[in-house]
Amino acid sequence: MSKLLIVIPAHNEEDNIVQVVENLTSQYPEYDYVVVNDGSRDKTAAICRAHGYRLIDLPINLGLAGAFQTGLRYAAENGYDCAMQMDADGQHKPEYIPAMLAALEEGNDIVIGSRFLTVKKPKTLRMLGSYIISWSIRLTTGRAICDPTSGMRMFNRAMVEEFAQNLNYGPEPDTISYLIKNGATVKEVQVEMGERMAGQSYLNLWNSAQYMIKMSISILLIQWFRKRDTETPYPERSL
Amino acid sequence: MFDQTIIRVCLIVGSLLTAGFVLRRVRMAKVQIEDTIFWFGFSAALLILAIFPGIAYWAADLLGFMSPINFVYIVVIFLLLVKQFFMSIRLSQLDSKVRMLTEQVALNQEKLERDKLDL
Repeated sequence: MSKLLIVIPAHNEEDNIVQVVENLTSQYPEYDYVVVNDGSRDKTAAICRAHGYRLIDLPINLGLAGAFQTGLRYAAENGYDCAMQMDADGQHKPEYIPAMLAALEEGNDIVIGSRFLTVKKPKTLRMLGSYIISWSIRLTTGRAICDPTSGMRMFNRAMVEEFAQNLNYGPEPDTISYLIKNGATVKEVQVEMGERMAGQSYLNLWNSAQYMIKMSISILLIQWFRKRDTETPYPERSL
Repeated sequence: MFDQTIIRVCLIVGSLLTAGFVLRRVRMAKVQIEDTIFWFGFSAALLILAIFPGIAYWAADLLGFMSPINFVYIVVIFLLLVKQFFMSIRLSQLDSKVRMLTEQVALNQEKLERDKLDL
């Protein structure tokens, strides 16, 4: 079985982090995890230390992309075969990890835990952004990604190394579209997600609209011009 | 009429050069994509003003400018001022982050040295 690292980026998640980590470790003690505290202003880091969780404590706030990249660098440096992102707010359920890992071991580069693979995507305002991003990816890559905004993504060793070393590899749909265009294989696995357990989501209407516009411009216009640096395969560089 | 054509051509060339330059940076992975969005918007605004001069005429008339090109200047100045404002904030944040990081590194170093002495 591949050695999997679960990266849990946490920013001001003192109300959720214990339940999320306990839920993971009690059900699946065989998987390694690491909490990346993204410069939280609450007691997230102190709580993790008190419970003895494996913690990377960033001294300043880097944002999700930076926190996740930290986790992937940890995975790359410590010889993990694959890594996945799991949100610290309890939306991502560990029950689906084995299915995703199995899909990754079939030879896929990226596995997305998708809410809308077999379930119909609701036609609500909240999902409008998801529709637009799905459509953008469809248009530019020809591949249907049912749930592009799902944060529950698993990456194989080559992807982990590539994400860990480069600029513009945020864990976002535009990176996925770029990688599909460059021949990465992406598979979705149907999952169910919970509601956020406690605390405030940063996703208000204004932020969502900004995010959507940024992603659409990035996927539709900018990703075409990127050059992929793969003369030497990433896993071979650090050997 | 001749003047206006030259200005329009300059605007189009300027806008395409901006977009081309930024895209080259993206290609070389020298810039983060979120930082390029403004420049694409800026370049699109110039392009639209150059291709549809009617907009500048209409706005200049509405705002009481002597010449439509003044409206173009105002738009450019406004966009650059806004950008300048946000860059100033970004710079200030970066500055404080670098200070925090430097302090952190120095504190970690001191701790390492103290641990070594204790052994």
